[in-house]
Amino acid sequence: MDGLNQFFGAVVAIGMSADMLVVVWATLLGIVVGMIPGLTATLGVALVTTLTFTMEQNTAILVLICVYIGAIYGGGRTAILLNIPGTPANAASALDGFPLAKQGRAGEAMAVATSGSFLGTMVGMVGLALIAPWLAEFALDFTSFEFFWLAVFGIVLCGQLTSMDDPLKGWIAGFLGLLVAMVGQESLHAYSRYSYGILDLEAGFGLLPVLVGAFGCAEVFVVMRQEATTLVASQVGGVLRSALKSFRYVRTWLRSGVIGTFMGVVPGVGEDMGAWVSYAAAKRASKTPDDFGKGSTDGLLAAETGNNAAVPGALIPVLTLAIPGSAPAAVLLAAMVIHGLRPGPLIMITQADFFYSVVAMVFWASVAMLVLGLLLTRPLLLILKVRREWLMGVIFVLCAVGSFAIAGRLFDVWVMIGFGLIGFLMRETGFPIAPMILGVVLGPILDNNFRRSLSLTQGDPIPFVTRPISAVIALLVLLMIVLALPPPVRRMLGQAKVRLLEGRRADG
Amino acid sequence: MKVDKVMRTDLISGLVVSVIGIAGFVEALRMPRFEARNADPFTVPGLTPGIVSFVIAVLGLMLVLRALAGRGASETLPIGVWPEGSVKRTLFTIATVVIYGGALFGRIPFIAATTLFVFVFTVGAEWLNPQRRMGLPVLAGWALALSLVAAFVVHYVFTVVFHVRLPG
Repeated sequence: MDGLNQFFGAVVAIGMSADMLVVVWATLLGIVVGMIPGLTATLGVALVTTLTFTMEQNTAILVLICVYIGAIYGGGRTAILLNIPGTPANAASALDGFPLAKQGRAGEAMAVATSGSFLGTMVGMVGLALIAPWLAEFALDFTSFEFFWLAVFGIVLCGQLTSMDDPLKGWIAGFLGLLVAMVGQESLHAYSRYSYGILDLEAGFGLLPVLVGAFGCAEVFVVMRQEATTLVASQVGGVLRSALKSFRYVRTWLRSGVIGTFMGVVPGVGEDMGAWVSYAAAKRASKTPDDFGKGSTDGLLAAETGNNAAVPGALIPVLTLAIPGSAPAAVLLAAMVIHGLRPGPLIMITQADFFYSVVAMVFWASVAMLVLGLLLTRPLLLILKVRREWLMGVIFVLCAVGSFAIAGRLFDVWVMIGFGLIGFLMRETGFPIAPMILGVVLGPILDNNFRRSLSLTQGDPIPFVTRPISAVIALLVLLMIVLALPPPVRRMLGQAKVRLLEGRRADG
Repeated sequence: MKVDKVMRTDLISGLVVSVIGIAGFVEALRMPRFEARNADPFTVPGLTPGIVSFVIAVLGLMLVLRALAGRGASETLPIGVWPEGSVKRTLFTIATVVIYGGALFGRIPFIAATTLFVFVFTVGAEWLNPQRRMGLPVLAGWALALSLVAAFVVHYVFTVVFHVRLPG
C-alpha cells in the first residue's frame, strides 16, 4: 500500500511539473529515432545520454526512459510501411504489419501497433512495480558467489536466446565480451591487463563507445550494404477507430504483456525476444494460425505488445541487480551511474523514492507514446520519406560526437569505429551482438566476485555449488548448456553415462 | 553451395576465435602474481582473463570442428550474399568513416570536418545508388545544404544547448 501511494505521488509530481514537457519531446524524439532504420533504441539512448550530462538526475533518467519507450514503439511504423524493422525489436512486427499495409490497411496496422505497445508497456509497468521490490529483497541475500553465477547465467542464457539456431556462436560472443571487459586496470591490484603501456587502454574500453560502435556504427555499415528501400502506398485513415477495436484481443495482449515482461527480465535478451516469443505464443494459441505472416492483426498485436512490455521488464534487473535486461537498458544503467545513482539490491532501502519515480516515468512515457502515436500518424510518415542513405552520414557524426562527449577522448571515437567494424563482421558471420555487450557489462561483476569468492574460501570451489542459491543458478546454467547441445553430442553423453554406470556396477 | 559457404565462414571464424582465446590465455599466464607482495594467489590479475580466454579457445575449437564435420546452422549467413553494389557501398562507407573518425575528427575544426564528411558521404552514397535520379550538380547542391545544416546544428545543440565540449 505504501508502494502504491509512492507511485501515485510520483505520477502526480511528474504530471503537475514542467517535466511533462520533457515527456512529450523526449517520447517524440524516441519515436522519430525508432522510425529511422539505422537508429536503434540503444543508439538513441546512448546518444541522448551525452545530452543529459547537465540535467538534474531525475529529469535525465526521465528523458532516457521516454526515448527508450518511444524508440521501441517507433520502429514498428517502419516495419509496417517499409518492411524494415526500425529497431531489431520490431522484426516480428514486419511479418504481419507489412502484409496489412500492402492490403491497404496501414492505418489499422499502426493503430493496432500503438494500442499493443501501450498495453504492453502498462503490463510491463505493473510487473516492474510488483517484481522489482520482491527481487531486490531477495537479492539482499546474494553474496559474491551468487553474483558470479548470475553473470555466468546471463552470458549463457543471452547467448542461447539471441541465437536460437546456433547457441555456440552466442556463447562465443558473450565470452568475447567478457574478454573485452578484462582490458584495463583491474580493481584488486590496480594492474593494467592487456594494455601494453598504452595509456588510453589502461582505462579500459568505455561502455558507451563500445555500445555506440557495435549498434550504431555497425548499423551504418549494414544499411549502406543493403539496397535502397521504398515506402508502400497504403490507407492510413481510421486510426482511432481501429485502436479501439484492438482492445478486443484481451487475451493476446495480456499473454504477450506477461511474456514480454519476463523476456525483459532475462539479462541481455530484451525487446526483440519479447516480440518473437509473444508472436510464437499467439500463433500457437490462435484459432487461425495460418493467417500469421499474411496480415494477422493478432500477430501484429502480440509482437508489438511483447516488445514494449519488455522495456519495463528490462528495467527490473537494472534497478535491483545492476544487470541490464537488454542492450538499451545497459546504456540506461551506465547513464544512471554517470548521474550518481546506485542501482542494485539496496535500491528499495536507500532510493525507494527514485524507484517509484521510474515506474511513474514509464507510465507517463507510455501515455505520451499512445497520444502522439494516434494523433501524429500522418506527420510522422514524412520521416519515412527521407532517404536513409542520406541520413547515414549524419548518424555517423552523432556516433562520433556521442562517443567523444563522454570523456573528451579521441580514443573513444576510434574504439567506436573499431567496434563498429567488429559488430558488422559479427552480424555478417552470424554472431549475435547482444551477448558481447552483456559480456562487456558483466565482465567486472564476474571478475571481482569470482576472485573475491575464491579468496574467501582459500581457493576452495565447493561453496560455488553448495550454497543454496548458487547451486540453483549453477544447475540452471548446466541445464541450459546440456539442452543446447546438438542431439549427437547429447546421445554421446548419454552413452558415456550408461558406460560409466555399467562400469560402476561391474566394479561394485 | 550455400551450406559450403556457411561451413567455410564458420571455419574461418572458429580459427580467429581460437587464436584470440589462445593469445588471451598466454598473455594471462604472463601477468604478474605479486608473490613478493604476499598477494593471495586467488586474486591474481591473470586468473579470470585466463579462464575466460581458455573457454573462448575451446568454444572456437568446437566451431572449427563443427565446420569440418559439415554441421552448423541451417540458414544462409549475410556474408554469403554480397552483390557487387554492396561491396562498393560498404568499402566506400568504411573508407569515409575511418578517414573522418580517425584523421579529421579532432584534428581540424569540427564544423569544417563534419561538413566535408557529410558532403562526401552523401554524394558518394547517392552516386553508388543504382536508382539515383538526380544529376551531379543538383545532388551536390542538396548534399552541401545537408552537410552545412548538419554540422552547424550538431555543433550548436551539443556546445550551446547541452554544454558539451567538441574537438577542434
